[in-house]
Amino acid sequence: MRRILAAFCLLSSSAAFSAEAPKSVLVVNSGEASLSVIDIASQRETRKIPMLREPHHWVMTPDGKDLIIGDTVANELVLLDPDTFEIRRHITVPDPYQMLFTPDGSKLVVAGLARKQVDVYEAGTYKLLHRFAARTMPSHIDISADSSTAYISLQGTNKAMALDLIHNTVKWEVPTDGAPAGVLLRNGKLLVATMDTDTVQILDANSGATIGHIKATKGAHQIFISPDKKQIFINSRIDASITVVDSTDFQHIRTYKVPGGPDDLIFMPDGKVWATLRFVQKVGVIDLKTGSIETIAVGRSPHGIYVNGATNMGGANR
Amino acid sequence: MNLGAPFDFAAGWLQEYAVLPLLYNLGLMQWEEWSFGWSLFAVYGVAQVIVALLICWPLEHLWPVERWEDHRAEWVDILYTLINRVGFLPLVTFVLFSQIQMSINGLLADEGLVSPTLERLVPWFEGRPVATFLVYAIVLDCGEYWRHRLSHVFDWWYGLHALHHAQRQMTFWSDDRNHVLDEVIGFLWFTVLALLMGVPPLQFPMLVLLLRLLESMSHANARIRFGWLGERLLVSPRFHRAHHGTTAAGRLSVNYGGVLPWWDMVFGTADFSHDFVKTGDPTAAEVLATGSYFQQQTAGLRRMWSGLGS
Repeated sequence: MRRILAAFCLLSSSAAFSAEAPKSVLVVNSGEASLSVIDIASQRETRKIPMLREPHHWVMTPDGKDLIIGDTVANELVLLDPDTFEIRRHITVPDPYQMLFTPDGSKLVVAGLARKQVDVYEAGTYKLLHRFAARTMPSHIDISADSSTAYISLQGTNKAMALDLIHNTVKWEVPTDGAPAGVLLRNGKLLVATMDTDTVQILDANSGATIGHIKATKGAHQIFISPDKKQIFINSRIDASITVVDSTDFQHIRTYKVPGGPDDLIFMPDGKVWATLRFVQKVGVIDLKTGSIETIAVGRSPHGIYVNGATNMGGANR
Repeated sequence: MNLGAPFDFAAGWLQEYAVLPLLYNLGLMQWEEWSFGWSLFAVYGVAQVIVALLICWPLEHLWPVERWEDHRAEWVDILYTLINRVGFLPLVTFVLFSQIQMSINGLLADEGLVSPTLERLVPWFEGRPVATFLVYAIVLDCGEYWRHRLSHVFDWWYGLHALHHAQRQMTFWSDDRNHVLDEVIGFLWFTVLALLMGVPPLQFPMLVLLLRLLESMSHANARIRFGWLGERLLVSPRFHRAHHGTTAAGRLSVNYGGVLPWWDMVFGTADFSHDFVKTGDPTAAEVLATGSYFQQQTAGLRRMWSGLGS
């Protein structure tokens, strides 16, 4: 019964999209410097857009007018038309690995995984406001609803930290159970996927204290919340699966076997979930009712994934 | 058709079913993002060794320049090859190159400057990775010519490089028999040039592997000529063997080119007259020719030290 309810909730999540049904999905191929455009109707790659070096993730500008791709090794943000994917502009920014705008739309927070820094830019002008040293490998970001605090996983030193974006100070920095990756803020709790374990660590967002764990599968890597905010999806690298839990009590709902290194996800209006599969150069289309997976060939090491028409997704883990 | 697809597939399999489980059990999952690069280079490295073996081994057996009863001196060359092409070095080169490139380019980006890339200089190259790869390969081969030539100029440097020249039983495995310090110098040289040109990190080890695959072939113990024109387009076993001749060790050598003989022709060091000479360095200690890996490394250091004093 719980599985049926879960599928229903996702099927009714089309409010996350604009009125017009999305036509294309954009996949960021980090290992071959390109973007793959997939036609949703035919489920085929229809074109490739060259990037310069190593793009990973995307973020939508607060006004919804530009889709930004971060090319880390090229040290640039690439601004595209979110419907046609035509490249409009390049902005020089060092090592833009993960990016997220503050909910008030005033700042862009950029985690530089290789350069060990978290930069805060003024939205629109992309002028650097402040740089936090972040040792080491700052990877994933979430931001509080009041735009005051950014939460970052520090993959290289098994830590998570909270940054005060008003006073430009570090609020707390705490050890995690293993190498942390995805983070998700939910009702005053910071969920941190730790890749060396089969759990997601739950931290108190105010103090950083550990207050619990969510059981997932080995190699917990990324965390996403469904568009209706009722379920949390946890990707695992070692057991190659996606674990779905209830977003309120964190009780297990279902685990989907997803071989190929599942990474970023998008939730489609038809209730299916699309996942980039890093190690097999494909995108997996997962039917949540049956658990079956169809795949679409893309480029090498696909990482970020975006569907046009999505209006409520601000980044890789929103 | 994507020629790299089988390699990507093999690297993905290696990553998912071998490398990541190993990292997980060792508690080293923070390296999972980098490890796919290593898996890719290891797969290309294995493929390169297999290709060299498939091409050169039959040639060496069908048309050998020399035949030897005892093959023990070749085993250490096989060890050098496996270390250099499959194991530790591809990982180190990728991680180091990426880190150095990110640091330098990031510093430039802090100042609002865009680091140089071939694609931005000539926009036609954007989205044409094969074309950029070939341009990078040609320029890097020219750089390798000058590094190699200079290693014959300075006594201390030739002290290290003598290890490479000491092999009297030269085969396609011999390309990698280098002193580890000589490898480090070579890596730094190659890296600086690649950084100046803005070579993408994932292309960097591929360039190393491609150039060294062709260099392996030029070391083959095979009576292979490419003809008058062919020998002026690509370094042949005959052309490179003249460089390894017993009379051409140290500063007296010729034919320094690794892949393309063009640089020897342009800079006046080409010699097409020799025909399958004997190889080795008569001035090198015997241990450099027939010692174990560690004996050769130690002897190379000693010879470098004496070269510093001369």
